[in-house]
Amino acid sequence: MSPTISLADFWALFGNAIIAAMLGAALCGYLGFFVVLRRLAFVSAALGQIAGLGVAFGFLLGSYFGVDPHAPTPVYLDPVVLALVLSGLVSAGLGYVSRVERTSPESLVALAYLSSTAITILLLASPRIVQEAHEVGDLLFGNAVAVRREHFIELVVVAAAVLCSHVFLFKDLLFVSFDRDMAQTVGLPSVKIELFLHVSIGISVAVSTRAIGALPVFGFLVLPAGAALLASDSVRGVLALSISGAMLAAAGGFYLSFVESRPTGPLMVACAAAYWPLAALYRLARRPR
Amino acid sequence: MELIRLEKAEIGYKKPLLPPFDLSVRSGERLAVLGPNGGGKGTLLKSLIGLLPLLSGKRVFPNGRPPRAGYVPQAPRIDPIYPLTALQVVLQGRYGRIGLGRFPKASDWRAAMAQLEKVGMTEMASALFRSLSGGQRQRILLARAFCGEPELLVLDEFTSDMDPVASAGLLAEVAQLADRERVSVIFVTHEIQAAALYSTAVVMVDARRSQFAAGRTEELLTAEALSRLYGQNISLERRGERTVVFVESGRPR
Repeated sequence: MSPTISLADFWALFGNAIIAAMLGAALCGYLGFFVVLRRLAFVSAALGQIAGLGVAFGFLLGSYFGVDPHAPTPVYLDPVVLALVLSGLVSAGLGYVSRVERTSPESLVALAYLSSTAITILLLASPRIVQEAHEVGDLLFGNAVAVRREHFIELVVVAAAVLCSHVFLFKDLLFVSFDRDMAQTVGLPSVKIELFLHVSIGISVAVSTRAIGALPVFGFLVLPAGAALLASDSVRGVLALSISGAMLAAAGGFYLSFVESRPTGPLMVACAAAYWPLAALYRLARRPR
Repeated sequence: MELIRLEKAEIGYKKPLLPPFDLSVRSGERLAVLGPNGGGKGTLLKSLIGLLPLLSGKRVFPNGRPPRAGYVPQAPRIDPIYPLTALQVVLQGRYGRIGLGRFPKASDWRAAMAQLEKVGMTEMASALFRSLSGGQRQRILLARAFCGEPELLVLDEFTSDMDPVASAGLLAEVAQLADRERVSVIFVTHEIQAAALYSTAVVMVDARRSQFAAGRTEELLTAEALSRLYGQNISLERRGERTVVFVESGRPR
């Protein structure tokens, strides 16, 4: 147990961050259902890096316009807005180019991941934003302990918008993911539905990354849903396990961080990764003999 | 009555695969699409039903609207990772009628069950789609295509993964179902015998030789036309209703 702080004090200090992490985890746990089924796992990793690039670019632009990064910022220079726009555009773009023949989707994802990481590092090396480098570093590697109020509100608004719209469009999103050609043949606008899904993922990754860091976001998008698919054979079961598993991993990561005085983001990912052997054991136990 | 008509159509992804052509699909027709691998059969099919835009020319709907269509892809095209039951897959066939953002009603679930019954898969309703055999999956996809009450059924080499006996049986069932439900059928196939037995019209296509021909089965499906299409000597022998195909081994012509 941490010798310097009580659990009550910990909650008073980090309550908002814990709630934000659990909300981000729920959002990512839900979207992970589509990310894993559509085999887009590394797209979510690339989107986290792109969100980081958007934030770094926002800080750099702000420095040219004389904006104090810790004061209210005009919308067009807001690092979060730039992260949202970049992530949304790249997510939609990756969805489009994956349909172009002679293009390997993995290599495009690698291109997005590597180029955004490299450019972010180059931007952070600029003497104009050296003071903000630690903030972008937290964003990329995950440090969910301090969530600003405006980031929390952004996360709540995006999560509510995405989850509410997906309640109505879920059957269509699943149909287009399962068999795009048949969906289009029966008259559904499959290209627009796919675009909506990709933009949903892009925007969700951007705001969640800002609130809890790229590493936990990537982990929550892939690990709980993958384990849930191992453990359950129904859509509802997979969704329930994935969402609740991601939320539990977020809470568990915070708790272990408090107890062991270790970084929160990696502990959240470790908790989510622990579902895999559990799911595999459950699967083995259920196998008919 | 025509359901779809292509006029001076050029098809392909960037460059036209074939010279401009006209083609129509009529009500009650069973149209077989034949041709060698890589010859553009799939591209023609997708262009015909609007999955792929035409590079030039027009797609005309004489009814004033596109026909309601059902599509059965090749078995390997469906990713088995999805945790969907057979009934949930069949229900997807009604999503076009249900509408975007709307929920299925009890009547939609009943319609899906009725289609499962028609293809003899009622007892598999709650089985996972991914746990079914190749032939069973294709039956489920067929039930899904019929579930939307289509005017046009599109089959893209849908028996390619099946053994010859199962394939012949399923094709015969499709022909019966299509006749009973008064549905037009377009089917892409490599099986010349199936085309001879079940089609009323044939399209022969080979993009590599810029070949395109369409016509009534009894007029177009000849040994000479098939030999030209596949670049190999092919002979046909009629035995009652059936046609036996002989492909001469040796170097292509």
